[in-house]
Amino acid sequence: MLVLGRLALLAGFCALWEALPRVGLADPELLPPFSTVLATLGELLARPALLADLGTTTLELLVAVALALPLGTLLGLALGENERLARIFDPLVFFLFSIPKSIFLPLFILTMGIGFWQKVAFGVFSTLFIVLMSAAAAVRSVRPDHVFTARAFGASRAQIAWRVYLPSMLPILLEGFRLAVIFGFTAVLLAEMYASRTGMGHQIASWGENFMLQRLFAGVLLLSVVAIAMNEAIRGIEARCSHWRS
Amino acid sequence: MSPGRIRALIILAVLVLWEALPRSGLVPVLFLPPLSLTLAVLAADWPTFAAALGVTLSEVAVALVFAVGGGLLTGALVGGLAGPRRLLLPVFSSLYAVPLVVLYPVMTAWFGIGAESKIAFASVYGFFPTMLATAAGIRTIDPQLLLTARSMGATPAQRLLLVILPAAIPTVLSGLRLGGALVIVGVVVAEMLIASAGIGYLVTFARTVLDSPRVFAGVLLVLLIAIGFDLAMRWVERRCALWSTAGRPQSAPAAAVPT
Amino acid sequence: MQPLAELNRDAAPAPRGMIEVSGLNHAYATRQGPVQALENVALTVGQGRFTVIVGPSGCGKSSLLMMLAGLRAASAGQILCAGRPITAPDPDRVGVVFQEANLFPWLTALDNVAFPLTLRRAPKAERQARARAMLELVGLGDAATRYPHELSGGMKQRVSIARGLVQDPPVLLLDEPFAALDEQTRMAMGEELLRIWAATRKTVVFVTHSLTEAVYLADEVLVMSARPGRIIDRMPVPLPRPRSYEMMASAEFGRLRDRIWQQIKAPAR
Ligand SMILES: Nc1ncnc2c1ncn2[C@@H]1O[C@H](COP(=O)(O)OP(=O)(O)OP(=O)(O)O)[C@@H](O)[C@H]1O
Ligand SMILES: [Mg+2]
Repeated sequence: MLVLGRLALLAGFCALWEALPRVGLADPELLPPFSTVLATLGELLARPALLADLGTTTLELLVAVALALPLGTLLGLALGENERLARIFDPLVFFLFSIPKSIFLPLFILTMGIGFWQKVAFGVFSTLFIVLMSAAAAVRSVRPDHVFTARAFGASRAQIAWRVYLPSMLPILLEGFRLAVIFGFTAVLLAEMYASRTGMGHQIASWGENFMLQRLFAGVLLLSVVAIAMNEAIRGIEARCSHWRS
Repeated sequence: MSPGRIRALIILAVLVLWEALPRSGLVPVLFLPPLSLTLAVLAADWPTFAAALGVTLSEVAVALVFAVGGGLLTGALVGGLAGPRRLLLPVFSSLYAVPLVVLYPVMTAWFGIGAESKIAFASVYGFFPTMLATAAGIRTIDPQLLLTARSMGATPAQRLLLVILPAAIPTVLSGLRLGGALVIVGVVVAEMLIASAGIGYLVTFARTVLDSPRVFAGVLLVLLIAIGFDLAMRWVERRCALWSTAGRPQSAPAAAVPT
Repeated sequence: MQPLAELNRDAAPAPRGMIEVSGLNHAYATRQGPVQALENVALTVGQGRFTVIVGPSGCGKSSLLMMLAGLRAASAGQILCAGRPITAPDPDRVGVVFQEANLFPWLTALDNVAFPLTLRRAPKAERQARARAMLELVGLGDAATRYPHELSGGMKQRVSIARGLVQDPPVLLLDEPFAALDEQTRMAMGEELLRIWAATRKTVVFVTHSLTEAVYLADEVLVMSARPGRIIDRMPVPLPRPRSYEMMASAEFGRLRDRIWQQIKAPAR
């Protein structure tokens, strides 16, 4: 029922997008009809150049996340486990966590130029704190009485880590990873839009500047679908790992 | 040594390094202009910065009205009514994943490169978190409280006004804080990308001519605004939530962050 | 609403707090089909009487109380209070105290107690005066400006009782009001409730799981069967009032408690 409702919503959205420019309520120059945009997207996807751009962006994101995840998790575990470190660094980390990261982009360009690694570095910078905070929160969410119970039944350290810590922490960790991926995507795209010669962000920006709105909308549509798909995929994993949480 | 002391030392060390590293030539001034130089530029060029700041802040103010107004209203509707909630909330939280930056070129194509496109973009940028927070705030209200109010004969209007609204205030305020931060980021990022005025434009312009003291000065200014807004909102939150125990539990990092 | 002075008056108008329930049936619609919660429940509670309802978990005690409070409509049957049917919450006739105190966390103790009067748009001075008097009555006169999170569990429940009484309804319904409290506080609160009851002469319907509490408090204990809930025993408690802690050790007390136990132990697995 609900799924049907949502499908209807989606269909309505597409229909509206199609209809507005067709019946003259919107300028087709400014809002190309949905079908036109879809056709353009099909054309674009057939081009090796666009696939290369998509590949670049994906690779930047993957590398950034692959660096930020272990680094942030380790730092977060340290903060979550070590009382003293936590008391020193918690306020600092929280502060860094809550300031906007995009503003720092020009500094990355000044120091690192506009190449691949600058975008990766900016991606890491934008996501590190999310991972760190979730890892710390995840450790703290482990209930001491669960650990005591396991110990009372003679669990070894490894068993406690594997059977108590990991399952308790997984939901929060995964939530952090998910946010890291979606924020990392934004960061990488922004860096490409700001100053770059490659990547989807660069394409989007230049289509916008050159007033190629059919391609621009095709690109926006593509990136939105990709982002939603990634998000839902990680959510699916989250749901499987935290079924006991209700 | 107390943790606070150590923290102060760390911050001090960062500031000293910021000054010493470029001065000693270990780090090029292009990468990191000394703190004193950055502040000096900020002071010397204050009229330029102030003018840019005026442009940015006025855009922020207008966008805030749209983002927060729309977010609160939609959030209250979605969170308060069971039907729309079950239908829409998952849709909205899926949409939350969409990297909204890519919409900015659309905005400039539609509204030009003046203030309108910044306001439109920042409004969209700040809308989602405010809406999601409001919906969540209204949804997490203890149903027992509503039942209690009903047992005392409260009318639906009274339940909304005297129970739902006050109970939702803390969550709504933190949504506002997040939404506001995103509106600030949204405007500045938009100015950085394509604009002809504002603090973000100033930063980008300085960057293209490799004038790093000015870049750092602008970034510092934006950070101060963002932090000032955050602190002010936290103060309001504390004032409005005297009744809650030491603030609500931080709802994990899911509270999301301005990127 | 009665003036405050009347709180201590001994003789209240006879039928005001009388509750008559007849032929009450209720089935919840669930995904697995209808669940019969109450079956042909009939009961009468006289003005000023203290009636306790006990029964195994899930037998429908809370449901019954919700219906008495007008918070839920029964599938069939009739509920009269002071001779008139109860169809919607009517705070002038019935006050309710829940298991959790359900205080509004953003209001002080005083404002929580005054809340029902706020709903009626009573003048501020009157609200404050009455709420303050109720807080005094429950022994919390000096906690008026505290927020719920600054109160202990027992204090919260007292505030909740004060709130249930503030409109001076002739009937007070309590659904396991002390279940979340520790044994000591629970005993003290029972005594406190009896004192308040003696001072206000309310009709009280009180749900509990504690057999000791039931015998200690009640004029009459109604015993319900496991689901579908029916009333399987009406047991008068002939112990003299005021009740005292010592009575619990008496043979009579033990006999009464045992009579309840014998009837509910089997189904409660
Ligand atoms: N809203 C509802 N929808 C469906 N079934 C319900 C609902 N509320 C209660 N029930 C069912 O009705 C029966 C009676 O519930 P009720 O809460 O009245 O029992 P109770 O005697 O108060 O139990 P307890 O002593 O545990 O508080 C239970 O079997 C319960 O599962
Ligand atoms: Mg119950």
